[in-house]
Amino acid sequence: MSYKNLGSKNSGAPGWLFQRITGIVLIVAMVGHYILMHYTPTSGHSFASTFERMQNPLWKVFYLSFVVVGIYHGLNGVWGVVRDFKIKKWLSITILGFILIAGISFAVFGFMNVLSF
Amino acid sequence: MSMYQSSWTKVMMRYHRFAGSWAWILHRISGLALTAYIFMHIIALSNLQKWKSDKGVAFDEEMALFSRPFFLVIEWLLFAFVLYHTLNGIRIVLVDFANGARYHKQLHYAVLAIGVVAFLVMGYVIFSHQVNKTVAMLF
Repeated sequence: MSYKNLGSKNSGAPGWLFQRITGIVLIVAMVGHYILMHYTPTSGHSFASTFERMQNPLWKVFYLSFVVVGIYHGLNGVWGVVRDFKIKKWLSITILGFILIAGISFAVFGFMNVLSF
Repeated sequence: MSMYQSSWTKVMMRYHRFAGSWAWILHRISGLALTAYIFMHIIALSNLQKWKSDKGVAFDEEMALFSRPFFLVIEWLLFAFVLYHTLNGIRIVLVDFANGARYHKQLHYAVLAIGVVAFLVMGYVIFSHQVNKTVAMLF
């Protein structure tokens, strides 16, 4: 019911489609991320290599979008789990509020990590 | 009451025998865990923000901690979650967009088979680094 009470004109289809699109984007990004981070014991995650990457604006754009897409996919998934339970309207609004606040604050925190360079 | 509960249990057990429902449950558990992880990951990387005052020392120390064998095992388990969620995600996309509903069970077993192989390969990649480092330290 939580879902029906919130924006009942919304079929949920856009969220469903975005979940698949962001999922496919994340598969490509994660394969690259894993190769970069695990190719050698320190490849990718020493401060020197991180600093070097962050001098390139394209890498910054990549990480900023990685943060946004990753958090969106994760929290849209959490909201999908919540929607499967029959809960009171006030509770679903509260949970959605927590999800939005958590998503925005962690995205800002992730942006601060990237933009400190 | 007890009759009701025993039949409820029976229904649940029967329900869970299907490949699709196991895939669904595992996808949710791994998804929730990975969402928790991405928050932790962002907090852990916040040491990068100190680089102007400490030249990245705090970050490198943290990464050295995460390269210890205990964390390598944790990292390997994390990869199991990432791997299952990735492979089953591909299965979901095929079911939704490529008529995969007709062969979703075969896809589920393919996911498990590919997953086990990829998990072992990743274990080799992670721990061979550690073996090489230990050998290099000894000689």
